[in-house]
Amino acid sequence: MARMKFLCDADRCIECNACVTACKNEHEVPWGINRRRVVTLNDGKPGERSVSMACMHCTDAPCAAVCPVNCFYTTADGVVLHSKDICIGCGYCFYACPFGAPQYPRVGNFGSRGKMDKCTYCSGGPEPDLSTAEYEKYGSNRLAEGKLPLCAEMCSTKALLAGDGEMIAEIYKQRVLKRGYGSGAWGWKTAYRETVAI
Amino acid sequence: MQRVATLLGALLVMAALWPASGLDMSARAQSPIQADGQNPMGARPTADSVNEEFLFKQSPKITGRISIPDGKAANLIQPQGRQYQMFREGWLPWIGALVILGMLAALAAFFLYRGRILTDHSQESGKKILRFNAFERFTHWMTAVCFIILSLSGLNYIFGKRLLMPLIGPDAFGALAQWAKYSHVYLAWPFMLGVIFMVVVWVRDNIPNRIDWEWIKAGGGFIGSKHPHAGRFNAGQKGVFWMVAGFGAAMGATGLMMLFPFAVFDVNGMQVMQVIHSLIGVVFIAGILAHIYIGTLGMKGAYDAMGSGKVDLAWARTHHDLWVEQEQARTASGPQVASHPAPAE
Amino acid sequence: MKAFVAAVIAAIILGIGAMLALTSSQRFAYQAFATSGARVSEPGTNLVGPRWDGDPAPDEYDAEPHGKVRGAASEPKRS
Repeated sequence: MARMKFLCDADRCIECNACVTACKNEHEVPWGINRRRVVTLNDGKPGERSVSMACMHCTDAPCAAVCPVNCFYTTADGVVLHSKDICIGCGYCFYACPFGAPQYPRVGNFGSRGKMDKCTYCSGGPEPDLSTAEYEKYGSNRLAEGKLPLCAEMCSTKALLAGDGEMIAEIYKQRVLKRGYGSGAWGWKTAYRETVAI
Repeated sequence: MQRVATLLGALLVMAALWPASGLDMSARAQSPIQADGQNPMGARPTADSVNEEFLFKQSPKITGRISIPDGKAANLIQPQGRQYQMFREGWLPWIGALVILGMLAALAAFFLYRGRILTDHSQESGKKILRFNAFERFTHWMTAVCFIILSLSGLNYIFGKRLLMPLIGPDAFGALAQWAKYSHVYLAWPFMLGVIFMVVVWVRDNIPNRIDWEWIKAGGGFIGSKHPHAGRFNAGQKGVFWMVAGFGAAMGATGLMMLFPFAVFDVNGMQVMQVIHSLIGVVFIAGILAHIYIGTLGMKGAYDAMGSGKVDLAWARTHHDLWVEQEQARTASGPQVASHPAPAE
Repeated sequence: MKAFVAAVIAAIILGIGAMLALTSSQRFAYQAFATSGARVSEPGTNLVGPRWDGDPAPDEYDAEPHGKVRGAASEPKRS
């Protein structure tokens, strides 16, 4: 079975934010909620880099561990998903998440902030695949259609890679060898406790 | 017009001279990458970029610029989340279980060793003296009821998924946890108000003094049968008071920070608030368990003080002799106090 | 006993008061994270819905596949 991961090649990312837009459109993500975002480091300075970041679908996911109602589960593909029916919106997953992935529909206070929303790796939730209920709660399920996440699929510079961890690591490795440099697989050490060995 | 012509002329001259002087350089600059993909000049135009290792050396988390108005999203990677995970899942359940079960075991052992603390009968038995007035009892019970619900719903955050969820299933547990969360958030307010009331009403009688030291040295009456002198509150009760005041304030402060997330702190601050809130919470629960034990099962006659507000005069004289004297002196003509035992009885 | 009952009632009343106060001060993410450049007074059809909380009302999706507009249509604010 594949172990699905994201890898953002920051040396290719041009901060066009198309991944963000594609994600929002594909899943009808409301205003104010960003399942994916692009963070620019060293903005305006030499060596500036942009990294597109979403849920990394961690190994031993911190969100799943700290959830007081165990609403998270990991699929056979290594994708970390959650059930909005069980979620109580406590926000602990946001504190635990190294990548700031969990989002809440209301932000004023802790009391009734609604169900958490995060990147589903375009693979829906616990509802039956491609059902209306799944679409309403989690957005579309491209993985069930045999497609990869839209953000990576349509990345104009192919900076964002999605797919089996070993496969995308190999692609990235070849790129780095070819061009002679690479700023590394951002977040991999924290998410997967390993990094791409060049 | 003439000026433009002069300028064009100068540019032409410059253009003619430029290739001659820098021919070698410009030829390479136009095509720096050779056929093997290597750059012979060693210049890698985008290679001198920031990387994760370098940024983690500068600060514990990686933060950048973000084009969306959600400031929290500017954190790219905060590995502290893993530490928070370690605390909450690795340490907290053990700490919580040890502290609370340890307190229960200690209370059970004390009960088996000491039994129920009784009051010797005296000629004053049967007479009543007012110990807590209606407002004091109201304050106590409002805080107490809220505390019990807050502690149960708080423990649910730690132990619910371990103990309750396998029993009732995830959906029922999810609904229950949602209501537990609501009760935790909303009943926190009467609890905080109750703690404030309690501090206002009782702080006067809870200033530590020398009698408390004597009380502690005498073992507080727990060890042996002799009762040391005590005012309205003995050193143990003062301990409970200051624990409630201190822990209540700490729980209220950290709880408010968590209730309005990111109002003051960033994500790491929120993690610290969570850690403090949970650690103090379990110690607070253990302390209150001891308070509940001694107020009900552990000592005969103690519950009346908060139940009806009136305690047996014999009990009061045994446990709070200085307070009884003070009270009798103050309300010598008061109807509720039989100040001097009538000989006829 | 009277004090106890009064305390329970007071706790419930204060709790409900806190609930009302906290719920009314709650802000939607689309209000909190909108800039002046974003016109989200009436979020429109490209959203799951303005009252979206992840647990949508069952009728919200029956009429149109991707949610429908609630409230009055927005005035085109073009300058």
